[in-house]
Amino acid sequence: MANNTVVKWQRRVPGLLMASPAVVVYLLMFIAPMALAFFLSLTDWNGYSFNFNFVGFKNYISAFDNPRALDAMLFTLGLAVAGTLLVNVLALTVASLISGPGIGNAVVRTVFFYPYIIAALIIGFLWNALLSPNGVVNSLLTSIGLSPVPFLSDPAVAKVSVLVTLVWAGFGVSTVLYIAGLKSIPAEYYEAATVDGAGRGARFRHITLPLLAPVVTVTIVLTLVGFLRTYELVLALSGGGPAGSTETIVFQILNTSFVNGKLGFGAAQSVILLVVTAIFGLGVTLFRRRAEAKVVD
Amino acid sequence: MAIEEAFVTTVTGRPTDVTLDTRAVRAQEHSRRRRRGGPDSLPLGAALIKWGFLGIGALIMLVPMYIMIISAFKSEADIFANPLGISAESFTPSYLVDALTTSKFNVVAAYGTTLMFVVLVNIFSIALAAPVSYVIARGRARWHVVLLLLFVSGLFIPGQATLIPAIFVLRTLGLMGTIPGFVLFETAHTLPLTIFLFVAYVRTIPREIDEAAAIDGAGKMRAFWSCIFPIMRPAVATVIVLTSIGVWNDFVTPQTILGPGSDLYTVTTGVNAAISQFSTDFTVVFPTLLLAIAPAIVFFIFMQRYIIGGLAAGATKG
Repeated sequence: MANNTVVKWQRRVPGLLMASPAVVVYLLMFIAPMALAFFLSLTDWNGYSFNFNFVGFKNYISAFDNPRALDAMLFTLGLAVAGTLLVNVLALTVASLISGPGIGNAVVRTVFFYPYIIAALIIGFLWNALLSPNGVVNSLLTSIGLSPVPFLSDPAVAKVSVLVTLVWAGFGVSTVLYIAGLKSIPAEYYEAATVDGAGRGARFRHITLPLLAPVVTVTIVLTLVGFLRTYELVLALSGGGPAGSTETIVFQILNTSFVNGKLGFGAAQSVILLVVTAIFGLGVTLFRRRAEAKVVD
Repeated sequence: MAIEEAFVTTVTGRPTDVTLDTRAVRAQEHSRRRRRGGPDSLPLGAALIKWGFLGIGALIMLVPMYIMIISAFKSEADIFANPLGISAESFTPSYLVDALTTSKFNVVAAYGTTLMFVVLVNIFSIALAAPVSYVIARGRARWHVVLLLLFVSGLFIPGQATLIPAIFVLRTLGLMGTIPGFVLFETAHTLPLTIFLFVAYVRTIPREIDEAAAIDGAGKMRAFWSCIFPIMRPAVATVIVLTSIGVWNDFVTPQTILGPGSDLYTVTTGVNAAISQFSTDFTVVFPTLLLAIAPAIVFFIFMQRYIIGGLAAGATKG
């Protein structure tokens, strides 16, 4: 009996040995920090010394009390909702147009996709050079007799500029994901439907949509998470301005809390970001799962 | 949890539908091309609308890049006077040479530093992820599923949200501001995607290979590294491509963990130090951006098929 247990454990040793390095690194740098985030959010840690005090929920209260922090949360949420909608509608439309074979489709796919391999920070700087008050676009507008547009100098317009730039940079990836989803649908289904007299619209509604549903869910969740963590692009494009109007949650965590040694407050903002991400991710998944089930019926 | 479950059920549900190997994708495309005939092609009017729409879209995607490239070779006065064109008289490589040789930001050194980080993170990421993926893919116990969920859930967690507490961990370990600390954090954040893709791939490798290795007397570890790992080459290629792009483009991690005070600049932190959103000297901005983007574009041109193939593999299994 005892011998049996020993043998059983001996058989497990190689597996455990092979699994443990990755598990240790992952726990240390990913899972433990998430738990620590909550602990640190209850303190006034400054990022350097290990002398810190517990302050209770003060950091959370000020995150909602401080108008600038609250604005950043609202802007991030708005950006995530609007951006996810725009990116996915655009990507699904483009993907259904170019999912077929042919050199033209492949070229267009490449052209829409390429910003993916450029750092968001660099894209932000590029668009800043194009959109700033004395930038390329405004000098073009003035040269043809139009008045310049305050792309980055008016708070409301700057928010739209950030949104449009993010969509420009990000919808190509979603397009590629949708194309992959469309290609994984067996061509036989379409052939059978065509033989049965189904038109283009009917085939899209009864074959494409239901079979694409899981890919739609994953792509929506991934774009949502992507928009919720917007930082580098804003840093380079608008610097969070004008007057802090384009600051996001991560922007505040890194450029206000981190830089000013208020890491306890930054940790509270991190926890809020984690909770928002979880609510959005789970919400979309549950909602979509019902949609997926309904379509299958 | 529900997302991860969905992920895992689709991973396990369609173990044979793996398109990681881009050659397989192309073969599939080929056979589809043969099967699809005339009835699917668009009528002329619809085709015109389609290509008009896509053409305008492609223009919007390419014009910023075009402006950046031509502006890198022009004087400031010329950038304003003629933003969309370039003439032989106004062309000058001197601003690009200035950006290459400026004392403010040594681009060549930054290429080297970033490349070193890319290589290190790739090595550690694969060395850690491959064995655990094999154990998970072959395991039938409950803890294997739990482990997979734990790793895959990381795909949906914003890395920046774990950065501040990770700084706490790194300070405790004395690794804050060091290259090992940076590589450790960066490696941990590549594990979710790497393990997800590896597990899906190992599941398509027949168990008979493991059994044959065991009969020949190889232990589990030996069987993996000498029999299974070589078969995983397409998945490893995908992972290297995606990890390399991620590390090359990362700005937040080097900026916070290595610190702006250190002399160690990656391409992104160096560009950030050299130009800011208040930079108005376009003869510095455009050449610097061109130098920062050039390696990524070259990499993209040669690896495009693998990049898109790898992402596609992730999506259809997700």
